[in-house]
Amino acid sequence: MSLDAVVTYVVERLPELWLRTGEHLMLTGCSTLAAMFIGIPLGILIFRTTWLRGPLMGVIGILQTIPSLAMLVFLLALLKKIGVLPALIALTLYALLPIARNTLTGLEEVSSEVMEAAQGIGMKEYQQLMMVRIPLAAPVIVAGIRTAAVVGVGIATLSAFIGAGGLGQFINRGLALANTNLILLGAIPAALLAVVVDFSIGAFEWGLRPERKKDKKGSLRRLMRRLAFVLPVAIVLISMLTYFTKPGWISKTAAQLKSGNKVVRIGTKNFTEQIILGEMMAQLIETKTDLIVERRFNLGGTMICHGALVNGEIDLYAEYTGTGLTAILKHPVIPDPEEALNHVTRAYHERFDAQWLKPFGFNNTYALTVREADAKKNQWNRISDLVNMAMEMRAGFTAEFAERPDGYPGLRRIYGLRFGEVRDFDPALMYEAVVKGEVDVVCAFATDGRIAAYHLVPLKDDLNFFPPYHAAPVIRENILKTHPKLGDVLSLFGGLIDNATMQRLNFEVDGKKRKTAEMVEEFLKAKGIL
Amino acid sequence: MIKLTHIFKSFDGGRSYAVKDLSLSVGKGETLVLLGSSGCGKTTTLKMINRLIEPTQGIIEVGGKDVMDYDPVDLRRQIGYVFQGIGLFPHMTIEQNVEIVPRLLGWSIRSRQERMRELLDLVGLPAESFAQRFPDELSGGQQQRVGVARALAANPTYLLMDEPFGALDALTREALQQELLNLKKQLKKTIVFVTHDLHEALLIGDRIAILHEGNLEQIGTKKDILDTPATQFVQDLFTIKRPGTLT
Ligand SMILES: Nc1ncnc2c1ncn2[C@@H]1O[C@H](COP(=O)(O)OP(=O)(O)OP(=O)(O)O)[C@@H](O)[C@H]1O
Ligand SMILES: [Mg+2]
Repeated sequence: MSLDAVVTYVVERLPELWLRTGEHLMLTGCSTLAAMFIGIPLGILIFRTTWLRGPLMGVIGILQTIPSLAMLVFLLALLKKIGVLPALIALTLYALLPIARNTLTGLEEVSSEVMEAAQGIGMKEYQQLMMVRIPLAAPVIVAGIRTAAVVGVGIATLSAFIGAGGLGQFINRGLALANTNLILLGAIPAALLAVVVDFSIGAFEWGLRPERKKDKKGSLRRLMRRLAFVLPVAIVLISMLTYFTKPGWISKTAAQLKSGNKVVRIGTKNFTEQIILGEMMAQLIETKTDLIVERRFNLGGTMICHGALVNGEIDLYAEYTGTGLTAILKHPVIPDPEEALNHVTRAYHERFDAQWLKPFGFNNTYALTVREADAKKNQWNRISDLVNMAMEMRAGFTAEFAERPDGYPGLRRIYGLRFGEVRDFDPALMYEAVVKGEVDVVCAFATDGRIAAYHLVPLKDDLNFFPPYHAAPVIRENILKTHPKLGDVLSLFGGLIDNATMQRLNFEVDGKKRKTAEMVEEFLKAKGIL
Repeated sequence: MIKLTHIFKSFDGGRSYAVKDLSLSVGKGETLVLLGSSGCGKTTTLKMINRLIEPTQGIIEVGGKDVMDYDPVDLRRQIGYVFQGIGLFPHMTIEQNVEIVPRLLGWSIRSRQERMRELLDLVGLPAESFAQRFPDELSGGQQQRVGVARALAANPTYLLMDEPFGALDALTREALQQELLNLKKQLKKTIVFVTHDLHEALLIGDRIAILHEGNLEQIGTKKDILDTPATQFVQDLFTIKRPGTLT
């Protein structure tokens, strides 16, 4: 990309960048602040209560070793909520260790000579703590806060995964759409933010230090010290401003008030097809009703979307019959598409108060996919053809496929397939991996535009193992009751998109890097339903 | 008045004693010097007087009252203490260091300020140029003088001084010793002064107590000690180590 193109690219996305940066600072700032309020008293407590040290630091240390994503998903399950709250809690827990540990270290390291003097001149215990020990430990404590905040900026990028926003949103979307520019749009500001946060807290600590003789009145140094003091405060204020002046936030609220809070929240999983379907539903609802759509796209995987729907965090998302049947209802595969749809419809109504609407038409089943050249050379047509060579092959699967009963475990059972090596991939990176020869076989999605574009060949499922995966809008019955029109509007999608069409739409975004919203609008207009 | 009666102190549960059966008293307005070589128990004795350390056995009285009957904080605020390692608070200015005890005692800002100026003048560090500095912006000798000013700040009845001129060159030390002698005349305090320097002991002490490995070898005036050394140790101290300097 030329410099001009870069500038245009960024300028176009400036409003969202502003919003995401604000969210990001808010997440990091609030969690660091919360961790300070808990961590510093905790550090003081364990400094004074020696026997608590081992157990408490142990617990905090263990929290620290939980992988960030696992922590987020765990909190999600615990709180039954997506969004800012679980993200804040997770970030706070991570920030606790450096702050509490540094508080303890700082307090311990104060020279015993000075403390003896404090005691000897007649300070009471709390005076010794407040007037001598804590002020002398302050630089070490601030260093802990600094570490916590910088690490927090990094971890906060993951909170987009559970719909808490932040710069991770760009990264997530970029990964989902295999769009490097988008990834960089999130990653570069996040890295810069870490540097800025580190610098400004460092400056704050410098400004906090007592004034020396060299800080003469009116000197540049003195001025700088004052400024250093103001810097982080200014950043916090700006971030709050950023956060509360979300583009569209004010207008949306106004609209919300006017329309009596008629908002539909649409979720998607984190891959291209889901985002396209989410955008289609959003645009259709926006045109055909007076409802306001909130797009909560890119929510991790199936379980996160489903959890969000059941807990009323989103109202609507596109699910696949096979996924609903096996991954969510834990039901054995039903090979007949009609029957599968009937079953999930009934079960969702009974168990989740949710409704399956008319399917879009295509069947996005899994397809074991290999490079065209390999297929020709070895005369692979069907999955069964792989069985003899599987041990010499490397497979690249999404984490979901590797675990789901209708994924690899089932394949092993039905076909007796055992690959020599299995690696987990992000859906977006899986195709690159097979094209580049890093793996030999992947679990492609039948509607993925890259299959044709990258010269890959899906193998025939000769034992009819993969269940049908027909996508359909799944919606909470509650919102359907309040706005019955939603059902009619969404049923306009019934049978509208076949496999070839979906492949093409996917490739428009994945391959040709078209903007989803623009492409969807064009498509819906061409179909005459917008 | 400060009075120690049969004081023992062991740090290791009785296997060895840092202070053994020490009895002595310091009269009102008197300066007693504790003289002895490194590790003989001088600092330990001082710390027991203001309860930074508690004796294993024996009774210490300050002003006629057992120190164990005082609230330790109250006791310490009546006693000015100059620490061996100076012990200034590195995060406070000289001004704040000197004012700390009056501040703890709740003096008004004005009287604190007045007192601080007075004391800094007394120890030869004019407030105008020193009050706003931090301890690490002062020389070692200047810091020791601030330590003395801090100990005097709340006008304590008692003064414990642990090698207050320890790390100084001979010239500065002499100047400070002279200052202390002047102070003594002006202030009329009950002082326990620790040193391992013979010359200093003889110059400053009204009476001198000579300690050796936790034992009190002799206590008396300069004349008593020079004329009638009580033990071989005392005799050796004055003849072998510093011949000719004491007449
Ligand atoms: N907190 C302590 N724990 C254990 N032993 C101690 C402690 N404080 C002092 N001692 C021991 O008690 C003895 C007397 O120590 P003290 O500090 O009173 O010596 P001092 O006469 O002040 O010596 P110096 O002239 O070097 O300051 C020494 O042997 C020392 O090792
Ligand atoms: Mg000592």
